[in-house]
Amino acid sequence: MSETTVRVAEGPALVLAGYEGEPLRSLDAYRAVGGYAQLEKARAEDPQAVIQQVIESNLRGRGGAFFPTGRKASFIPTPDKIAKPIYITVNADESEPGTFKDREIMLKVPHRLVEGCLIAAHAIQSRHVYIYIRGEYLEEYESLQGAVDEAREAGILGGVEIVIHRGAGAYICGEETALLESLEGKRGQPRSKPPFPAISGVYASPTLINNVESITTVPAVLAVGPEEYATIGAPPDSTGTRLFCLSGNVARPGVYEAPHGITARHLIYDIGGGVPGAHTLKAVMMGGSSFPVMTPDDLETPLDADSLGKKGYFIGSGVVTVIDERTCMVQFALRVAQFYMHESCGKCTPCRVGTRWLVQLMRAVEDGTATEHDLELTLDVCDRIIGKCLCVLGDSAAMPVASCVTKFRDEFREHLAHGGCPFGEDSQLAGLFAPTDQHAHTPMAAEALA
Amino acid sequence: MSTPELVRVTIDEREVHVPKGTGLVETALAAGVEIPVFCYEPRLGPPVGACRMCLVEVEGMPKLQAGCTLTAQDGMVVKTARTSTQAAEGQDATLEFILVNHPLDCPVCDKGGECPLQDLTFRYGPGKTRMSFEKLTFEKPIPISPTIALDRERCILCYRCTRFSETVSEDGQLIAANRGAMSVITTFEDLPYTGAFTGNVTELCPVGALLPTQYRFEARPWEIVDVPTVCGLCPVGCNVYATVREGKVKRILSRNHPEIDEGWICDKGRFAFTHLRADDRLAQPLRRVHRRGLEQISWEDALDEAERLLRNARGRIVTALSGSETVEQAYALGKLMRVGLDSHQAMLPEEVSGALDAYRLPLSAIREAEVVVVLGEVPVVERAPVVDLWIRAARRNGARILDEADEEAIGGAARVVLLWSGPGGRGGETVAQVAEKLGLADRDGCGAFYLPETPNGRGAADAWAACCDEESAESASIGLLVVSGDEAAANENVRALAEQAEAVIVLSMFHGLAAGWADLILPGTSYLERDGTFVNLEGRLQRLRRTATPPCPDELEWLAELAARFGVDLAPYAAGVFAEVSQRVYGGLAFGEVGERAPLRGYPEASEHIARTPLPRAAQKPRRGEIRLVAYKPLFSGAAVERVAELQFQRPQPELELSAEDARRKRITPGDMVTVGANGSAITLPARVNRRLRPGIARVGLEHASGLGGIVEIAKAAEVLA
Amino acid sequence: MTAFHDEVQELRKLYPEGTRSAVLPALRLAQERHGWLSREAIEEVAGALELTPAYCYSVASFYDMFRLEPVGRHTIEVCTNVCCGLVNAQAVLEAFERELGVRPGETTSDGEVTLRAVECLGGCSTPTLVAVDRRYRQSVTPDDVPAILAELRA
Repeated sequence: MSETTVRVAEGPALVLAGYEGEPLRSLDAYRAVGGYAQLEKARAEDPQAVIQQVIESNLRGRGGAFFPTGRKASFIPTPDKIAKPIYITVNADESEPGTFKDREIMLKVPHRLVEGCLIAAHAIQSRHVYIYIRGEYLEEYESLQGAVDEAREAGILGGVEIVIHRGAGAYICGEETALLESLEGKRGQPRSKPPFPAISGVYASPTLINNVESITTVPAVLAVGPEEYATIGAPPDSTGTRLFCLSGNVARPGVYEAPHGITARHLIYDIGGGVPGAHTLKAVMMGGSSFPVMTPDDLETPLDADSLGKKGYFIGSGVVTVIDERTCMVQFALRVAQFYMHESCGKCTPCRVGTRWLVQLMRAVEDGTATEHDLELTLDVCDRIIGKCLCVLGDSAAMPVASCVTKFRDEFREHLAHGGCPFGEDSQLAGLFAPTDQHAHTPMAAEALA
Repeated sequence: MSTPELVRVTIDEREVHVPKGTGLVETALAAGVEIPVFCYEPRLGPPVGACRMCLVEVEGMPKLQAGCTLTAQDGMVVKTARTSTQAAEGQDATLEFILVNHPLDCPVCDKGGECPLQDLTFRYGPGKTRMSFEKLTFEKPIPISPTIALDRERCILCYRCTRFSETVSEDGQLIAANRGAMSVITTFEDLPYTGAFTGNVTELCPVGALLPTQYRFEARPWEIVDVPTVCGLCPVGCNVYATVREGKVKRILSRNHPEIDEGWICDKGRFAFTHLRADDRLAQPLRRVHRRGLEQISWEDALDEAERLLRNARGRIVTALSGSETVEQAYALGKLMRVGLDSHQAMLPEEVSGALDAYRLPLSAIREAEVVVVLGEVPVVERAPVVDLWIRAARRNGARILDEADEEAIGGAARVVLLWSGPGGRGGETVAQVAEKLGLADRDGCGAFYLPETPNGRGAADAWAACCDEESAESASIGLLVVSGDEAAANENVRALAEQAEAVIVLSMFHGLAAGWADLILPGTSYLERDGTFVNLEGRLQRLRRTATPPCPDELEWLAELAARFGVDLAPYAAGVFAEVSQRVYGGLAFGEVGERAPLRGYPEASEHIARTPLPRAAQKPRRGEIRLVAYKPLFSGAAVERVAELQFQRPQPELELSAEDARRKRITPGDMVTVGANGSAITLPARVNRRLRPGIARVGLEHASGLGGIVEIAKAAEVLA
Repeated sequence: MTAFHDEVQELRKLYPEGTRSAVLPALRLAQERHGWLSREAIEEVAGALELTPAYCYSVASFYDMFRLEPVGRHTIEVCTNVCCGLVNAQAVLEAFERELGVRPGETTSDGEVTLRAVECLGGCSTPTLVAVDRRYRQSVTPDDVPAILAELRA
């Protein structure tokens, strides 16, 4: 039962600065590596100046949307312009399949997250921080709560209250407006925008929402200085380092801090040790399960938003999951579709209905009962989901499925010709059970699923 | 108020100018373009953008937008499915997704033919289905209450019903459970959806998922006529349609009057109509025969008998009105008694006053108020249900809701509305005095309401007063008591009076209300069977229509015939009678001009004609430590409700409401049995603690009060035993 | 008032007055006490928060971690999302099924253990991730299963 590998693989240590294998859980340990120095520095500065530095660094959101962090903060009205409290919510609802970096931040450098929150609070003049952590993260919660308590006792919070709010098992709460709804004690269903959270977020008040890694990077930005930070990685748009989440059929999976712009091949083979055994790479779940899968011919693509974007990929939350040749891509598409069906909130029609339809289609292909027409239908259903939903969850289901149908069309056809899966029982994902087949809060729902 | 800025919006190449911020759906309508919707319903609060039916292309935005969530901005260029292929494809996609799980049981669905999903599929939908897998199936239909059936397979999860429950009626009972494809509409633990307004969800539902059980398999849309009328079961006078098939009322629907009801009606108004077909409904007159009880007689004989009884008691007849007569009925009865028989004495179940005429407002003004003061202890919802929704809307709008007219608390509020919700209140005089003290007269947005007990007490009183100028001295004896209608027939005071009367004529719909004490029973009609007018609690004159054929002749017909026997000239139909009343009370307004959605008119002459009735005992003010018991008539009570099996679950539980402070003081916790006693009699009921109730007040439904009222002793039942 | 009621009032203080934010924490607290959210548990939560039981049920049923049916004294949750799936998640799940004699979603007849398959728990580099009574076990293989259960039942 091994621990997750977490290390700086290349370039400067920023998010993981000071972490050398021993978690920096205590205040003393964090202070020993220069912790909270940036907070002190920031507090001595004008709030606007702090925002300006983040803008200049061109730090972008690490949750998946890649929106400029500094600009986001600049949308928040200053207290003299609005008679409502200003809130910060930190998105620690990390649930994207393949993503496990925020968890490691909270375990290894929790105080850096607290420091980031406090710098952000100073920058937008907020006194209320809610950290929305996914309910399954228990040790992470304990580690983070310990850091917050320690910081409070040490008088570091400076009048800012940090409340850790625990989720209860819903992927959709990683969507920022669903997170706000959930934080307000409601069903985690996304809101229609506008109004945008910067104006009317939690409790109808201005709210800054940032991913754990983004906000943890803020002290690092101040430490190296925005000009310097903007030169790291793949400027101008993909600056700095990020925590890549390497998993799947790879020799040395783990969380690796490395600058934007290293190639997928470098990460998988040089850092990760390549595909183990005599197996070959077949596909990469790139960015997370919400995006099109990468094929081996694109392995030289630098892992930055622009380079990936040009080839129809997304950097997402830094996920690189290696899939080797023993994997049936229909099964992969089915399992991904099942995940989104399970996680669809049920609010808007295309996602609620479309995700279930995709599962039915993929199962029919896998069983060999589908026809060529069903492959076209699948692409059409994906097309009818994408861009039509209330939030991006629908797109997240449709994009990977559509990419599998398009990029592995021959393998899909083989299922049809073969009257079932050509891998037989040999695929790594064969017969993989999905919670959609057990998710039943009431006997009535169970009946409906049968 | 400043005029809102007008903005120019182009929709499908048509330019339209609307106030900035107008919803895009309404903006498009102004341009003559329909943006189809399912979940959008402005009365339910901000749009949610859930169903995705309203997808439109907006210039400058990369993706299709949910039109319902947008508002008009200057220079906005919008293309709907009419002019945008992308939008048309979006709509087609949404409909395809909606129909993926929707069963094709339209031929046996009560919504068929009046179903928005059917209509929009017809206009925008795909012609064939590409879904070849199993649809989601659920157990169906599920009775979410005895009055509403839920078909989860038909449900398209637009969340209109749950939003109604959460944000309009605020009952928080009808909810969505689970998530994703497994989301369902439900109640907690399958408890029946209970409350004053539940039936509205059957009209909000854009498919056949929530349907009234009473209407199940009752009619096809091409067999029915929706007759516009006004509900006559409470003083609000909600505008409704009666759905009629072959002369029978099959259903009651709302008919949005934006100033009165905004399209919401209560469950009593919606579901109590089957009392028209109650088992003990009277169709034939009955006469008491010595030692043989009641015998059925012909209408001819009945009128002869009535003439005989009236003639014998000339000058000594007392008329007990119900306050549910139409203006015309009350006038016809009044003219017969007063002009024809020199009997001027009448009584109503409550006082009526014109004192509030200076403070008139439409009910919708409550929502715009900054401060709403609700005086009295009868729950508003029990007496005038829809008014409760207006107060809730005001609170959501940021209004402060006070329970006393505290000048300091009201402070500098510009728009102040007062309400008096019984008991007592002298027909509105008490609240008028408060309004005067606060100087609310002639102030914009300020006004006062009195919530009467009867639906048309004011109209009946005005009409009675208007038919004759003479007044007579009270006679020493009562020769004949004429009891008009079921509220009067059920009234204890009227029953007491009957003991002193030499003879009693009862006009009633139901055998059960008249059988024991009448010498002559004349079958009556329901508000759904009458043509005429009602005056509601705003003082608004509204038009009732004869929506169904009653099993007996209309009152005005035989009243005219009877009146003729005493030399009194009366038209046998409502328009004719109204013409006469109108000359005296309503400024000569023509019957045809009362209006389908009647405006709030002022009737300056009205107040002079108010019949004065004796003042009831003034309510005792509880002294410190004392508790006053308020026994109120619950919404779900009365002759009509008692006769509707499906509404029995709505009738209030026997329980005593106590304020939190009194409960604490008496060490009573919710559910404890408590004994309430006064003047030697006592009742024992379970306690409920109501945080909103004022200390010193306890409340109980009239039917559970056993006649108790005033200052009472309250204690835990166990302590009394000990 | 009960201790539970008082604890919920403490939770409410973490959030602005008049908001419903304490619903999730209160439901969690109730579940920790009763093991699952029975009708009575939900009514208790609703009472403490001055909300309707229906509202609390609506919220509870949205989230995976709330149990609306009775569960065993212990819970085994096996991630079967793709990253764990690519390595050996199905074999691990089946090992638990075999050892416990139940299907995912079911509870052993002695009421001791509930087995569930769950979506990605965020332990993708150490497959298969299994949460034993909510605590993460990383890199679980089918061979580890008997020991995990023995430990649990000890």
